[in-house]
Amino acid sequence: MSLKPKKVVVPALIMAVLFALPVFLKGDYYLTMVCSLFLYVTISQGWNLLGGYTGQINVGQSAFFGISALVTRLLWAGGIPFIPALLCGALASVVLSLVIGIPALRLRGHYFAIGTLAVAWIAFLAVENLFPGVTFLPGKYVATYSLLPRYYLFLVIMLSTIIVVSLVVHSRMGLAMESIREDEDAAQASGVNITKYKVIAFVISSFFVGLAGGAYAYFHVSYYWYLPFILMWCFEPILITFIGGVGTIWGPIIGAFCYVALKEVFALTLGEVNVLIFGAVFIFIILFFPKGIIGVPEKLREYLFRKEKGSRAARQKNMNV
Amino acid sequence: MRKGKFGIVAGIVCFSLCLMPFVVGQSRAEAPASIKVGASIALTGKFAGGGVDVADGYKIAMKHINEDGGIYVKEYDKKIPIEIIIYDDESDPNKTVARLEKLHSIDKVAAYLGGFSSAMNTAGLAIAEKNKVPWVGVTIAAEGVFSQGFKYTFAPCMFSFMEVTAFFDALDSLPKDQRPKKIANFELQSDWGIECGKYLKKFGAERGYEIALTEKYAGGTSDFSSLIMAAKTGGCDAVFSVPTPPQSMTLIKQMKELAYAPPVTCFIRGPDLSSYWEVMGKDANYILTCGEWTADMKYPGNEKLVTDFRAEKNKEIIGMQVGCGYGAVQVLADAIERAGTLKRDAIRDALTKTDLMTVRGRVTFDERNIGLVPYSLCQWQNGKLEVVTNPDYTTAKVLPAPPWDQR
Repeated sequence: MSLKPKKVVVPALIMAVLFALPVFLKGDYYLTMVCSLFLYVTISQGWNLLGGYTGQINVGQSAFFGISALVTRLLWAGGIPFIPALLCGALASVVLSLVIGIPALRLRGHYFAIGTLAVAWIAFLAVENLFPGVTFLPGKYVATYSLLPRYYLFLVIMLSTIIVVSLVVHSRMGLAMESIREDEDAAQASGVNITKYKVIAFVISSFFVGLAGGAYAYFHVSYYWYLPFILMWCFEPILITFIGGVGTIWGPIIGAFCYVALKEVFALTLGEVNVLIFGAVFIFIILFFPKGIIGVPEKLREYLFRKEKGSRAARQKNMNV
Repeated sequence: MRKGKFGIVAGIVCFSLCLMPFVVGQSRAEAPASIKVGASIALTGKFAGGGVDVADGYKIAMKHINEDGGIYVKEYDKKIPIEIIIYDDESDPNKTVARLEKLHSIDKVAAYLGGFSSAMNTAGLAIAEKNKVPWVGVTIAAEGVFSQGFKYTFAPCMFSFMEVTAFFDALDSLPKDQRPKKIANFELQSDWGIECGKYLKKFGAERGYEIALTEKYAGGTSDFSSLIMAAKTGGCDAVFSVPTPPQSMTLIKQMKELAYAPPVTCFIRGPDLSSYWEVMGKDANYILTCGEWTADMKYPGNEKLVTDFRAEKNKEIIGMQVGCGYGAVQVLADAIERAGTLKRDAIRDALTKTDLMTVRGRVTFDERNIGLVPYSLCQWQNGKLEVVTNPDYTTAKVLPAPPWDQR
């Protein structure tokens, strides 16, 4: 297999720019925003593998994000070095996905979506009751807090997620997942072990969402324990993926960029009406561009082609007359 | 000859004296056009009700300070107007972090003012500590947050121990034969709710009250029937809780539906919002709530705040957080003036030494930077929040609640 230079050079250039970005970003604000962008790309890409490529709608992503944030923070605050704590957090997320996924993914229809939503809500209530307080970074960490390592952590997690998801969807495994999304019966009839591939997609998705949850626990100086479990973490990745383009690698990246950047610009410039305007923009995209922003060029091409075809037909009609 | 020398020396001295103002003027740094202070507040989302009140308090305080020429800063030997930059955090603590970073690194504010609600403020004050920017906030009531050894965060507002003290003061103010004997604590599962529960037990034992029932509930709970029935069957004649604002309304509605009318009901949060009476009508009558600030307070400057606010907003009922926000700006402005500079560390040091009479009473800080403010409780009496416990004065006596159909 030979790789085209363009396929190597462009990603390498993008990576180089991303690694060098903190040099050009002056002030913690932009770094914070970029960290937030990377976080949203990661969780949306994680959701996309299971929802966009495999067709299994996970509406309970906050449980997997939150459990990892909880485990990571507890272990890290307990004195365990951060990286092992982060991996334990991601592992906790994987274990939770197996516990839920193995029984739930055998079912078809909306049961999986309803089941995951129930898990997210139960997890939220449990954490809110069991951990009612605030978690603070120990004083020594606050004194030496820097955004730079957080930036690189988010970046590495995001790039790993994109690379792994890209490799998976371009492999035979990816084909199997897409076949499940298109028609489970046909996939099963063709010899695809549908439960196996659904569980694999769920585990990979949860692992990366878990890593993002751990990074969240590393990023914030203080937060209420329940905050990584709020339902916002369930719906935002879905929103982002649909804005960008579901079932594509670039969709969650573009969607997250629009979601973070547009929302920020609207919030800072439009005041209290920003939520209304952002909502209107989202409805517009869903109504007129169901394939998301990534489908806009195709839609425009279709529109122009139809227009051209129409005018050609009209000319033909006139000539005949 | 001697006369000539004297003349030269005198000339030099006079010339130097004439130049002095210019030299001194040159050595003094140029004053900024304004003193920038920043806040990230929930203007949209689930905390917007209180967030808008806090923001209004900040804005009107800024207006009053600027009408007087601004804050005198010794370093520049002049009064400089104050400018408050407010961003909407959309009731999302992640946004609070981003907005405060923007205020710090892009807008270069001299200090932060707090937002609304503990969830937002907890995220905010950690950023203030990280960035070493003084933070003055008013809607945070859990003491635990201030036990982290943070140096830059100050909260001139009532904390859990003050709220519970004020509650017992209210009970003590009732005639002996009308005082409740059994208190039910509906304990919200938050750090604040748990702290209040701890103080209820402690102070209750010290002051001769029995906490007969403690029923726990989560922040998302909307069905309180089991708690209410437990209190009713247990014969509890007083209820204390710190519900979220929507829960405070649901609780009252469900208590009415279940015909549970204890003579004393105290919800620290919820009934203190300006919209409470509008939503609940007469059912709000006799409910006790936090009384940090009311329009009736006789503290200096309060009348001006109330008159101007009513003229500007055309609203009779003013939210409690308007006055609290106003007081926070007063505390910060006073600290900047005493610091004599806009350097953040100097402002922080000045804040620790605060002793100021504000529109909400005298404010000082303890060693944790918790504000020591007058403990105060209010009661809704015919559409008006009356001050029923306060160390300085009261506007009415605590009234025990009659059955629901007589309210």
